Amino acid sequence: MKNSAAIRRLLLPGISLYAIFFIIPLSILAVYSFWTQIDFKMHPGFTLEHYQTVFMTSLYRDVFLRTIIVAMLTALIVVPIAYILSYIMQFVFPSKARLLLNIILISMFSGYLVRIYAWRTILGKEGLLNTALIHFRIITEPITFLIFSNWSIAITLVGLLIPLALLPIWSSMSNVSKDHLEVAGDLGSRGFQMHRTILIPMVLPGIATAFAISFILAAGDFVVPTMLGGTNGVMAGNLIADQFKGLAPNWPLGASLAICVLAILIAIQMGFMKLVREVTRL
Amino acid sequence: MTTFKSSGPRNQLRTRGFRRSLRKLGPAIFVGVVLSYLFAPVIVTVLFSFTVSPRLSLPIEGFTLDWYKSAFGNPLFVDATMNTLTLALSSAIVAVIFGTSFAFGITSIKGRRRRIALTASLLPAAIPALVLGIALAVFFSGIGSRQGLLNASIGHAVLSLPFVILTMNARLETFDFTTLEAARDLGASPLQTFRDITLPIIRTAVIGAGLLAVALSLDEFVVTWFNIGNEMTIPVLIWGLLRRGIDPSINALASVVLVSLIAIVMVSNRLTNRSER
Repeated sequence: MKNSAAIRRLLLPGISLYAIFFIIPLSILAVYSFWTQIDFKMHPGFTLEHYQTVFMTSLYRDVFLRTIIVAMLTALIVVPIAYILSYIMQFVFPSKARLLLNIILISMFSGYLVRIYAWRTILGKEGLLNTALIHFRIITEPITFLIFSNWSIAITLVGLLIPLALLPIWSSMSNVSKDHLEVAGDLGSRGFQMHRTILIPMVLPGIATAFAISFILAAGDFVVPTMLGGTNGVMAGNLIADQFKGLAPNWPLGASLAICVLAILIAIQMGFMKLVREVTRL
Repeated sequence: MTTFKSSGPRNQLRTRGFRRSLRKLGPAIFVGVVLSYLFAPVIVTVLFSFTVSPRLSLPIEGFTLDWYKSAFGNPLFVDATMNTLTLALSSAIVAVIFGTSFAFGITSIKGRRRRIALTASLLPAAIPALVLGIALAVFFSGIGSRQGLLNASIGHAVLSLPFVILTMNARLETFDFTTLEAARDLGASPLQTFRDITLPIIRTAVIGAGLLAVALSLDEFVVTWFNIGNEMTIPVLIWGLLRRGIDPSINALASVVLVSLIAIVMVSNRLTNRSER
Protein backbone atom coordinates (compact mmCIF):
# COMPACT_ATOMS: atom_id res chain seq x y z
CA MET A 1 0.00 0.00 0.00
CA LYS A 2 1.52 3.29 -1.05
CA ASN A 3 0.45 5.42 1.88
CA SER A 4 1.06 2.83 4.60
CA ALA A 5 3.52 5.21 6.30
CA ALA A 6 0.71 7.77 6.53
CA ILE A 7 -1.63 5.15 7.96
CA ARG A 8 1.01 4.04 10.45
CA ARG A 9 1.14 7.62 11.73
CA LEU A 10 -2.44 7.12 12.95
CA LEU A 11 -0.99 4.99 15.74
CA LEU A 12 0.70 8.03 17.27
CA PRO A 13 -2.21 9.61 19.20
CA GLY A 14 -3.05 6.30 20.88
CA ILE A 15 0.58 5.51 21.62
CA SER A 16 1.14 8.94 23.18
CA LEU A 17 -1.99 8.61 25.30
CA TYR A 18 -0.79 5.23 26.57
CA ALA A 19 2.74 6.55 27.11
CA ILE A 20 1.66 9.59 29.11
CA PHE A 21 -1.25 8.22 31.06
CA PHE A 22 -0.37 4.56 31.42
CA ILE A 23 3.33 3.80 31.10
CA ILE A 24 4.69 6.94 32.79
CA PRO A 25 2.25 6.67 35.75
CA LEU A 26 3.16 3.02 36.29
CA SER A 27 6.86 3.91 36.10
CA ILE A 28 6.39 6.71 38.62
CA LEU A 29 4.60 4.25 40.89
CA ALA A 30 7.61 1.94 40.62
CA VAL A 31 10.03 4.79 41.37
CA TYR A 32 7.96 5.98 44.35
CA SER A 33 8.25 2.54 45.91
CA PHE A 34 11.93 3.40 46.61
CA TRP A 35 11.23 6.86 48.02
CA THR A 36 10.40 7.81 51.58
CA GLN A 37 7.55 9.74 53.07
CA ILE A 38 8.10 12.08 55.98
CA ASP A 39 5.20 14.10 57.38
CA PHE A 40 2.99 13.38 54.35
CA LYS A 41 5.66 14.70 51.96
CA MET A 42 7.49 12.59 49.43
CA HIS A 43 11.28 12.55 49.57
CA PRO A 44 13.26 11.27 46.58
CA GLY A 45 15.88 8.68 47.34
CA PHE A 46 16.58 5.00 47.13
CA THR A 47 15.54 2.82 50.00
CA LEU A 48 14.46 -0.81 50.14
CA GLU A 49 12.81 -0.20 53.49
CA HIS A 50 9.25 -0.61 52.18
CA TYR A 51 10.02 -3.85 50.41
CA GLN A 52 11.57 -5.06 53.67
CA THR A 53 8.40 -4.08 55.49
CA VAL A 54 6.30 -5.94 52.93
CA PHE A 55 8.29 -9.15 53.23
CA MET A 56 9.06 -9.06 56.97
CA THR A 57 5.60 -8.17 58.26
CA SER A 58 3.71 -11.37 58.90
CA LEU A 59 0.38 -9.60 58.35
CA TYR A 60 1.34 -8.70 54.80
CA ARG A 61 2.69 -12.19 54.11
CA ASP A 62 -0.52 -13.77 55.36
CA VAL A 63 -2.68 -11.41 53.32
CA PHE A 64 -0.62 -12.06 50.16
CA LEU A 65 -0.92 -15.80 50.65
CA ARG A 66 -4.67 -15.52 51.20
CA THR A 67 -5.01 -13.32 48.12
CA ILE A 68 -3.17 -15.84 45.98
CA ILE A 69 -5.31 -18.70 47.29
CA VAL A 70 -8.60 -16.88 46.73
CA ALA A 71 -7.56 -15.61 43.28
CA MET A 72 -6.32 -19.06 42.28
CA LEU A 73 -9.55 -20.67 43.51
CA THR A 74 -11.54 -18.10 41.54
CA ALA A 75 -9.53 -18.57 38.33
CA LEU A 76 -9.70 -22.36 38.64
CA ILE A 77 -13.51 -22.16 38.84
CA VAL A 78 -13.92 -19.46 36.19
CA VAL A 79 -11.71 -20.93 33.44
CA PRO A 80 -13.36 -24.39 33.26
CA ILE A 81 -16.82 -22.78 33.27
CA ALA A 82 -15.78 -20.47 30.43
CA TYR A 83 -14.25 -23.41 28.56
CA ILE A 84 -17.37 -25.54 28.88
CA LEU A 85 -19.56 -22.59 27.87
CA SER A 86 -17.43 -21.96 24.78
CA TYR A 87 -17.55 -25.67 23.91
CA ILE A 88 -21.33 -25.70 24.23
CA MET A 89 -21.66 -22.50 22.18
CA GLN A 90 -19.43 -23.79 19.40
CA PHE A 91 -20.39 -27.48 19.17
CA VAL A 92 -23.76 -28.06 20.86
CA PHE A 93 -25.84 -24.94 20.12
CA PRO A 94 -23.87 -23.21 17.33
CA SER A 95 -26.95 -21.41 16.02
CA LYS A 96 -27.51 -19.83 19.46
CA ALA A 97 -23.86 -18.92 20.05
CA ARG A 98 -24.14 -15.25 19.13
CA LEU A 99 -27.25 -14.79 21.28
CA LEU A 100 -25.64 -16.51 24.28
CA LEU A 101 -22.49 -14.45 23.93
CA ASN A 102 -24.51 -11.24 23.87
CA ILE A 103 -26.57 -12.23 26.91
CA ILE A 104 -23.44 -13.10 28.88
CA LEU A 105 -21.72 -9.87 27.85
CA ILE A 106 -24.75 -7.89 29.01
CA SER A 107 -24.30 -9.37 32.47
CA MET A 108 -20.78 -7.94 32.42
CA PHE A 109 -22.30 -4.47 32.21
CA SER A 110 -24.94 -4.97 34.84
CA GLY A 111 -23.22 -2.80 37.43
CA TYR A 112 -19.99 -3.69 39.21
CA LEU A 113 -20.81 -2.31 42.66
CA VAL A 114 -24.41 -3.37 42.31
CA ARG A 115 -23.62 -7.01 41.70
CA ILE A 116 -21.20 -7.10 44.64
CA TYR A 117 -23.82 -5.57 46.92
CA ALA A 118 -26.46 -7.94 45.59
CA TRP A 119 -24.33 -10.97 46.44
CA ARG A 120 -24.01 -9.69 49.98
CA THR A 121 -27.77 -9.48 50.27
CA ILE A 122 -28.14 -12.94 48.77
CA LEU A 123 -25.49 -14.71 50.87
CA GLY A 124 -25.85 -12.81 54.16
CA LYS A 125 -26.81 -14.42 57.46
CA GLU A 126 -30.26 -12.83 57.19
CA GLY A 127 -29.99 -12.67 53.43
CA LEU A 128 -32.14 -13.98 50.67
CA LEU A 129 -30.70 -17.50 50.47
CA ASN A 130 -30.96 -18.16 54.19
CA THR A 131 -34.40 -16.65 54.69
CA ALA A 132 -35.67 -18.53 51.64
CA LEU A 133 -34.22 -21.84 52.82
CA ILE A 134 -35.67 -21.30 56.32
CA HIS A 135 -39.02 -20.17 54.89
CA PHE A 136 -39.31 -23.37 52.89
CA ARG A 137 -38.10 -25.35 55.91
CA ILE A 138 -35.07 -26.80 54.16
CA ILE A 139 -32.81 -25.63 56.98
CA THR A 140 -33.56 -24.41 60.50
CA GLU A 141 -30.37 -22.47 61.27
CA PRO A 142 -28.90 -19.94 58.82
CA ILE A 143 -25.83 -21.02 56.87
CA THR A 144 -23.04 -18.67 57.94
CA PHE A 145 -19.94 -19.89 56.12
CA LEU A 146 -21.22 -18.37 52.87
CA ILE A 147 -20.83 -14.78 54.02
CA PHE A 148 -17.71 -12.90 55.13
CA SER A 149 -15.42 -15.74 54.11
CA ASN A 150 -13.13 -16.73 51.26
CA TRP A 151 -16.18 -18.48 49.79
CA SER A 152 -18.32 -15.37 49.54
CA ILE A 153 -15.39 -13.52 47.95
CA ALA A 154 -14.84 -16.31 45.41
CA ILE A 155 -18.55 -16.71 44.62
CA THR A 156 -18.83 -13.00 43.84
CA LEU A 157 -15.59 -12.81 41.86
CA VAL A 158 -16.57 -15.84 39.77
CA GLY A 159 -19.78 -14.08 38.74
CA LEU A 160 -17.86 -10.93 37.85
CA LEU A 161 -15.18 -12.72 35.84
CA ILE A 162 -17.01 -15.41 33.83
CA PRO A 163 -17.88 -12.99 30.97
CA LEU A 164 -14.29 -11.68 30.82
CA ALA A 165 -12.83 -15.20 30.75
CA LEU A 166 -15.34 -16.34 28.17
CA LEU A 167 -14.22 -13.79 25.56
CA PRO A 168 -10.66 -15.05 24.91
CA ILE A 169 -11.57 -18.76 25.13
CA TRP A 170 -14.55 -18.28 22.84
CA SER A 171 -12.47 -16.34 20.32
CA SER A 172 -9.97 -19.24 20.15
CA MET A 173 -12.67 -21.90 20.13
CA SER A 174 -14.71 -20.28 17.36
CA ASN A 175 -11.83 -21.04 14.96
CA VAL A 176 -12.07 -24.80 15.65
CA SER A 177 -14.49 -26.59 13.33
CA LYS A 178 -16.56 -29.63 14.16
CA ASP A 179 -14.60 -31.53 11.50
CA HIS A 180 -11.46 -31.29 13.63
CA LEU A 181 -13.19 -33.01 16.49
CA GLU A 182 -14.80 -35.62 14.25
CA VAL A 183 -11.42 -36.53 12.78
CA ALA A 184 -10.08 -36.80 16.32
CA GLY A 185 -13.05 -39.00 17.24
CA ASP A 186 -12.44 -41.27 14.22
CA LEU A 187 -8.84 -41.64 15.32
CA GLY A 188 -10.05 -42.92 18.67
CA SER A 189 -9.74 -39.78 20.73
CA ARG A 190 -13.02 -39.20 22.51
CA GLY A 191 -14.41 -37.66 25.66
CA PHE A 192 -11.87 -36.42 28.16
CA GLN A 193 -9.00 -37.73 26.00
CA MET A 194 -10.21 -35.61 23.07
CA HIS A 195 -10.30 -32.47 25.22
CA ARG A 196 -6.84 -33.08 26.65
CA THR A 197 -5.04 -34.04 23.48
CA ILE A 198 -6.92 -32.07 20.80
CA LEU A 199 -9.18 -29.25 21.89
CA ILE A 200 -7.36 -27.79 24.91
CA PRO A 201 -4.02 -27.50 23.05
CA MET A 202 -5.85 -25.81 20.18
CA VAL A 203 -7.43 -23.15 22.39
CA LEU A 204 -4.49 -22.88 24.80
CA PRO A 205 -3.74 -19.21 24.03
CA GLY A 206 -7.34 -18.36 24.90
CA ILE A 207 -7.20 -20.41 28.11
CA ALA A 208 -3.94 -18.76 29.17
CA THR A 209 -5.37 -15.29 28.56
CA ALA A 210 -8.57 -16.17 30.41
CA PHE A 211 -6.59 -17.50 33.36
CA ALA A 212 -4.38 -14.41 33.41
CA ILE A 213 -7.34 -12.03 33.31
CA SER A 214 -9.35 -13.80 35.99
CA PHE A 215 -6.39 -14.42 38.29
CA ILE A 216 -4.99 -10.89 38.05
CA LEU A 217 -8.32 -9.11 38.34
CA ALA A 218 -9.41 -11.36 41.23
CA ALA A 219 -6.15 -10.74 43.09
CA GLY A 220 -6.30 -6.99 42.50
CA ASP A 221 -9.88 -6.39 43.55
CA PHE A 222 -10.49 -4.54 46.79
CA VAL A 223 -14.21 -3.84 46.59
CA VAL A 224 -15.30 -7.49 46.83
CA PRO A 225 -13.23 -8.25 49.96
CA THR A 226 -14.36 -4.95 51.52
CA MET A 227 -18.01 -5.79 50.98
CA LEU A 228 -17.96 -9.57 51.45
CA GLY A 229 -14.75 -10.40 53.26
CA GLY A 230 -15.71 -9.38 56.76
CA THR A 231 -13.16 -8.46 59.40
CA ASN A 232 -10.70 -11.20 58.47
CA GLY A 233 -11.35 -10.86 54.76
CA VAL A 234 -8.58 -8.41 53.93
CA MET A 235 -6.92 -9.02 50.56
CA ALA A 236 -3.88 -7.44 48.93
CA GLY A 237 -6.08 -4.87 47.20
CA ASN A 238 -7.31 -3.57 50.57
CA LEU A 239 -3.74 -3.15 51.83
CA ILE A 240 -2.83 -1.12 48.74
CA ALA A 241 -6.01 0.96 48.73
CA ASP A 242 -5.54 1.79 52.43
CA GLN A 243 -2.12 3.30 51.74
CA PHE A 244 -3.79 5.77 49.37
CA LYS A 245 -7.29 6.28 50.72
CA GLY A 246 -6.99 5.14 54.34
CA LEU A 247 -6.58 7.12 57.54
CA ALA A 248 -2.77 7.07 57.44
CA PRO A 249 -1.76 7.07 53.80
CA ASN A 250 1.77 6.01 52.91
CA TRP A 251 2.30 6.20 49.17
CA PRO A 252 5.76 4.64 48.98
CA LEU A 253 4.60 1.65 51.02
CA GLY A 254 1.44 1.39 48.90
CA ALA A 255 3.53 1.59 45.73
CA SER A 256 5.87 -1.18 46.86
CA LEU A 257 2.88 -3.33 47.85
CA ALA A 258 1.40 -2.81 44.38
CA ILE A 259 4.70 -3.63 42.66
CA CYS A 260 5.08 -6.79 44.78
CA VAL A 261 1.55 -7.90 43.93
CA LEU A 262 2.14 -7.33 40.21
CA ALA A 263 5.45 -9.23 40.35
CA ILE A 264 3.91 -12.19 42.19
CA LEU A 265 0.99 -12.29 39.77
CA ILE A 266 3.24 -12.27 36.71
CA ALA A 267 5.44 -15.02 38.20
CA ILE A 268 2.46 -17.25 39.00
CA GLN A 269 1.00 -16.59 35.58
CA MET A 270 4.21 -17.70 33.86
CA GLY A 271 4.35 -20.79 36.05
CA PHE A 272 0.77 -21.63 35.17
CA MET A 273 1.39 -21.34 31.43
CA LYS A 274 4.42 -23.61 31.71
CA LEU A 275 2.37 -26.14 33.66
CA VAL A 276 -0.45 -26.13 31.13
CA ARG A 277 2.00 -26.65 28.30
CA GLU A 278 3.59 -29.61 30.11
CA VAL A 279 0.25 -31.22 30.91
CA THR A 280 -1.13 -30.97 27.40
CA ARG A 281 2.07 -32.29 25.86
CA LEU A 282 1.63 -35.61 27.70
CA MET B 1 -21.79 -23.57 11.55
CA THR B 2 -23.24 -25.24 8.47
CA THR B 3 -21.33 -28.46 9.18
CA PHE B 4 -23.59 -29.04 12.13
CA LYS B 5 -26.84 -29.08 10.18
CA SER B 6 -25.60 -31.45 7.47
CA SER B 7 -25.60 -34.47 9.76
CA GLY B 8 -27.74 -36.36 7.27
CA PRO B 9 -30.91 -38.43 7.17
CA ARG B 10 -29.90 -40.50 10.18
CA ASN B 11 -31.21 -37.60 12.15
CA GLN B 12 -34.74 -38.53 11.19
CA LEU B 13 -34.64 -41.85 13.01
CA ARG B 14 -36.75 -41.16 16.05
CA THR B 15 -34.63 -42.96 18.64
CA ARG B 16 -31.55 -41.14 17.42
CA GLY B 17 -33.35 -37.85 17.53
CA PHE B 18 -34.45 -38.57 21.07
CA ARG B 19 -30.97 -39.60 22.17
CA ARG B 20 -29.61 -36.51 20.46
CA SER B 21 -31.93 -34.18 22.32
CA LEU B 22 -31.15 -36.02 25.54
CA ARG B 23 -27.49 -35.40 24.89
CA LYS B 24 -28.25 -31.70 24.61
CA LEU B 25 -30.13 -31.65 27.89
CA GLY B 26 -26.98 -31.56 30.02
CA PRO B 27 -25.44 -28.64 28.13
CA ALA B 28 -28.76 -26.78 28.20
CA ILE B 29 -28.98 -27.19 31.97
CA PHE B 30 -25.37 -26.03 32.34
CA VAL B 31 -26.05 -22.89 30.33
CA GLY B 32 -29.22 -22.27 32.35
CA VAL B 33 -27.38 -22.59 35.67
CA VAL B 34 -24.57 -20.26 34.57
CA LEU B 35 -27.03 -17.67 33.28
CA SER B 36 -29.04 -17.72 36.51
CA TYR B 37 -25.79 -17.34 38.43
CA LEU B 38 -24.82 -14.33 36.31
CA PHE B 39 -28.21 -12.66 36.46
CA ALA B 40 -29.28 -13.53 40.03
CA PRO B 41 -27.75 -10.30 41.42
CA VAL B 42 -29.49 -8.26 38.72
CA ILE B 43 -32.89 -9.79 39.42
CA VAL B 44 -32.49 -9.46 43.19
CA THR B 45 -31.54 -5.79 42.90
CA VAL B 46 -34.47 -4.85 40.70
CA LEU B 47 -36.96 -6.96 42.66
CA PHE B 48 -35.99 -5.55 46.04
CA SER B 49 -36.01 -1.97 44.80
CA PHE B 50 -39.82 -2.33 44.81
CA THR B 51 -40.43 -4.16 48.09
CA VAL B 52 -41.91 -2.56 51.20
CA SER B 53 -39.69 -4.22 53.78
CA PRO B 54 -36.28 -2.58 53.98
CA ARG B 55 -34.85 -5.97 55.06
CA LEU B 56 -33.80 -7.95 52.04
CA SER B 57 -35.42 -11.21 52.93
CA LEU B 58 -38.29 -13.51 52.12
CA PRO B 59 -41.28 -13.56 52.19
CA ILE B 60 -41.94 -10.31 50.36
CA GLU B 61 -44.55 -8.20 52.15
CA GLY B 62 -45.63 -5.76 49.47
CA PHE B 63 -44.47 -3.35 46.81
CA THR B 64 -43.70 0.38 46.85
CA LEU B 65 -42.01 3.14 44.87
CA ASP B 66 -40.75 4.88 48.02
CA TRP B 67 -37.13 3.83 47.52
CA TYR B 68 -37.08 5.47 44.11
CA LYS B 69 -38.46 8.63 45.68
CA SER B 70 -35.76 8.63 48.34
CA ALA B 71 -33.03 7.82 45.78
CA PHE B 72 -34.04 10.67 43.48
CA GLY B 73 -34.60 12.92 46.49
CA ASN B 74 -31.01 12.46 47.66
CA PRO B 75 -29.48 15.96 47.45
CA LEU B 76 -26.35 14.51 45.89
CA PHE B 77 -28.26 12.69 43.16
CA VAL B 78 -28.47 15.49 40.58
CA ASP B 79 -24.86 16.48 41.01
CA ALA B 80 -23.72 12.86 40.79
CA THR B 81 -25.77 12.26 37.65
CA MET B 82 -24.38 15.33 35.91
CA ASN B 83 -20.80 14.39 36.78
CA THR B 84 -21.34 10.79 35.71
CA LEU B 85 -22.68 11.89 32.34
CA THR B 86 -19.88 14.44 31.87
CA LEU B 87 -17.29 11.75 32.56
CA ALA B 88 -19.00 9.24 30.28
CA LEU B 89 -19.31 11.60 27.32
CA SER B 90 -15.87 13.20 27.55
CA SER B 91 -14.00 9.93 28.08
CA ALA B 92 -15.99 8.14 25.35
CA ILE B 93 -15.25 10.87 22.80
CA VAL B 94 -11.52 10.77 23.57
CA ALA B 95 -11.44 6.96 23.58
CA VAL B 96 -13.32 6.73 20.28
CA ILE B 97 -11.10 9.25 18.45
CA PHE B 98 -7.83 7.80 19.74
CA GLY B 99 -9.01 4.20 19.51
CA THR B 100 -10.36 4.44 15.96
CA SER B 101 -7.20 6.18 14.81
CA PHE B 102 -5.12 3.47 16.48
CA ALA B 103 -7.19 0.69 14.92
CA PHE B 104 -6.61 2.21 11.46
CA GLY B 105 -2.92 2.63 12.16
CA ILE B 106 -2.53 -0.97 13.22
CA THR B 107 -3.79 -2.20 9.83
CA SER B 108 -0.47 -1.03 8.37
CA ILE B 109 1.37 -3.59 10.50
CA LYS B 110 1.23 -7.25 9.50
CA GLY B 111 1.68 -10.65 11.11
CA ARG B 112 3.32 -11.25 14.48
CA ARG B 113 4.15 -7.61 15.15
CA ARG B 114 0.51 -6.70 14.67
CA ARG B 115 -0.58 -9.30 17.21
CA ILE B 116 1.98 -7.99 19.69
CA ALA B 117 0.88 -4.38 19.15
CA LEU B 118 -2.75 -5.35 19.60
CA THR B 119 -2.05 -7.33 22.78
CA ALA B 120 0.01 -4.45 24.20
CA SER B 121 -2.80 -2.01 23.50
CA LEU B 122 -5.12 -4.16 25.65
CA LEU B 123 -2.90 -4.00 28.75
CA PRO B 124 -4.87 -1.29 30.64
CA ALA B 125 -7.80 -3.72 30.73
CA ALA B 126 -5.60 -6.56 31.96
CA ILE B 127 -4.11 -5.00 35.09
CA PRO B 128 -6.19 -4.43 38.22
CA ALA B 129 -8.07 -1.12 37.98
CA LEU B 130 -6.74 -0.45 41.47
CA VAL B 131 -3.15 -0.31 40.18
CA LEU B 132 -4.09 1.98 37.29
CA GLY B 133 -6.08 4.15 39.70
CA ILE B 134 -3.23 4.67 42.17
CA ALA B 135 -0.63 5.06 39.39
CA LEU B 136 -2.70 7.86 37.85
CA ALA B 137 -3.30 9.46 41.26
CA VAL B 138 0.45 9.46 41.93
CA PHE B 139 1.18 10.79 38.45
CA PHE B 140 -1.38 13.60 38.60
CA SER B 141 -0.21 14.72 42.02
CA GLY B 142 3.36 14.69 40.66
CA ILE B 143 2.50 17.07 37.83
CA GLY B 144 0.39 19.19 40.16
CA SER B 145 -3.00 18.37 38.65
CA ARG B 146 -5.67 18.63 41.38
CA GLN B 147 -7.95 15.60 41.77
CA GLY B 148 -11.28 16.10 40.06
CA LEU B 149 -13.38 15.37 37.01
CA LEU B 150 -10.58 15.98 34.50
CA ASN B 151 -8.24 13.43 36.09
CA ALA B 152 -11.02 10.88 36.41
CA SER B 153 -12.07 11.46 32.81
CA ILE B 154 -8.55 10.75 31.55
CA GLY B 155 -8.53 7.58 33.63
CA HIS B 156 -11.81 6.48 32.06
CA ALA B 157 -10.47 7.17 28.57
CA VAL B 158 -7.41 4.97 29.23
CA LEU B 159 -9.69 2.21 30.55
CA SER B 160 -12.07 2.39 27.58
CA LEU B 161 -9.41 2.64 24.89
CA PRO B 162 -8.66 -1.13 24.76
CA PHE B 163 -12.34 -1.93 24.24
CA VAL B 164 -12.70 0.67 21.48
CA ILE B 165 -9.55 -0.64 19.77
CA LEU B 166 -10.86 -4.23 19.96
CA THR B 167 -14.24 -3.28 18.51
CA MET B 168 -12.82 -1.12 15.71
CA ASN B 169 -10.12 -3.66 14.92
CA ALA B 170 -12.80 -6.33 14.42
CA ARG B 171 -14.68 -3.98 12.11
CA LEU B 172 -11.62 -3.02 10.06
CA GLU B 173 -10.72 -6.67 9.41
CA THR B 174 -13.37 -6.66 6.69
CA PHE B 175 -12.80 -3.05 5.64
CA ASP B 176 -11.97 -2.62 1.96
CA PHE B 177 -9.06 -0.17 1.80
CA THR B 178 -9.07 -0.08 -2.01
CA THR B 179 -12.20 2.13 -1.92
CA LEU B 180 -10.11 4.76 -0.15
CA GLU B 181 -7.37 4.50 -2.76
CA ALA B 182 -9.98 4.79 -5.50
CA ALA B 183 -11.35 7.96 -3.92
CA ARG B 184 -7.84 9.41 -3.64
CA ASP B 185 -7.09 8.48 -7.27
CA LEU B 186 -10.24 10.31 -8.32
CA GLY B 187 -8.87 13.47 -6.69
CA ALA B 188 -10.47 13.51 -3.25
CA SER B 189 -8.42 15.11 -0.48
CA PRO B 190 -7.60 12.96 2.58
CA LEU B 191 -10.19 14.91 4.58
CA GLN B 192 -12.86 14.48 1.88
CA THR B 193 -12.08 10.77 1.65
CA PHE B 194 -12.46 10.40 5.38
CA ARG B 195 -15.69 12.42 5.54
CA ASP B 196 -17.41 10.98 2.47
CA ILE B 197 -16.11 7.41 2.27
CA THR B 198 -14.52 6.16 5.49
CA LEU B 199 -16.85 7.65 8.07
CA PRO B 200 -20.14 6.49 6.50
CA ILE B 201 -18.76 2.94 6.26
CA ILE B 202 -17.50 2.71 9.84
CA ARG B 203 -20.16 4.92 11.43
CA THR B 204 -22.25 2.21 13.09
CA ALA B 205 -19.12 0.54 14.51
CA VAL B 206 -17.89 3.89 15.83
CA ILE B 207 -21.21 4.57 17.56
CA GLY B 208 -21.24 1.03 18.94
CA ALA B 209 -17.71 1.42 20.31
CA GLY B 210 -18.61 4.83 21.73
CA LEU B 211 -21.63 3.43 23.56
CA LEU B 212 -19.46 0.66 24.96
CA ALA B 213 -17.07 3.31 26.28
CA VAL B 214 -20.03 5.22 27.77
CA ALA B 215 -21.24 2.05 29.51
CA LEU B 216 -17.76 1.31 30.90
CA SER B 217 -17.48 4.85 32.23
CA LEU B 218 -20.97 4.95 33.77
CA ASP B 219 -20.13 1.83 35.77
CA GLU B 220 -16.53 2.72 36.66
CA PHE B 221 -15.78 3.08 40.34
CA VAL B 222 -12.20 2.16 41.23
CA VAL B 223 -10.17 4.53 39.03
CA THR B 224 -12.75 7.24 39.69
CA TRP B 225 -12.52 6.88 43.45
CA PHE B 226 -8.75 7.39 43.51
CA ASN B 227 -8.78 10.37 41.14
CA ILE B 228 -11.97 12.36 41.55
CA GLY B 229 -11.25 14.02 44.88
CA ASN B 230 -14.40 15.39 46.51
CA GLU B 231 -16.60 15.27 43.42
CA MET B 232 -19.51 12.84 43.31
CA THR B 233 -20.55 10.31 40.66
CA ILE B 234 -23.34 7.74 40.80
CA PRO B 235 -20.97 4.82 41.57
CA VAL B 236 -19.17 6.92 44.20
CA LEU B 237 -22.57 7.81 45.70
CA ILE B 238 -23.59 4.13 45.74
CA TRP B 239 -20.27 3.26 47.42
CA GLY B 240 -20.90 5.88 50.09
CA LEU B 241 -24.38 4.46 50.77
CA LEU B 242 -23.00 0.91 50.83
CA ARG B 243 -20.38 1.81 53.43
CA ARG B 244 -23.07 3.31 55.64
CA GLY B 245 -25.07 0.09 55.72
CA ILE B 246 -28.26 -1.36 54.31
CA ASP B 247 -30.25 1.38 52.61
CA PRO B 248 -32.94 0.18 50.20
CA SER B 249 -32.59 3.33 48.10
CA ILE B 250 -29.32 1.72 46.92
CA ASN B 251 -31.40 -0.89 45.12
CA ALA B 252 -33.47 1.80 43.45
CA LEU B 253 -30.42 3.80 42.42
CA ALA B 254 -28.69 0.62 41.25
CA SER B 255 -31.73 -0.46 39.23
CA VAL B 256 -31.73 2.86 37.37
CA VAL B 257 -28.03 2.41 36.56
CA LEU B 258 -28.58 -1.24 35.62
CA VAL B 259 -31.42 -0.56 33.24
CA SER B 260 -29.59 2.28 31.49
CA LEU B 261 -26.37 0.24 31.23
CA ILE B 262 -28.15 -2.80 29.81
CA ALA B 263 -30.03 -0.63 27.30
CA ILE B 264 -26.81 1.08 26.16
CA VAL B 265 -24.92 -2.20 25.82
CA MET B 266 -27.75 -3.83 23.88
CA VAL B 267 -27.83 -0.95 21.38
CA SER B 268 -24.03 -0.99 21.16
CA ASN B 269 -24.03 -4.74 20.57
CA ARG B 270 -26.61 -4.47 17.85
CA LEU B 271 -24.68 -1.73 16.05
CA THR B 272 -21.30 -3.47 16.19
CA ASN B 273 -22.78 -6.82 15.15
CA ARG B 274 -24.63 -5.31 12.24
CA SER B 275 -21.58 -3.45 10.98
CA GLU B 276 -19.61 -6.70 10.93
CA ARG B 277 -21.73 -8.01 8.12
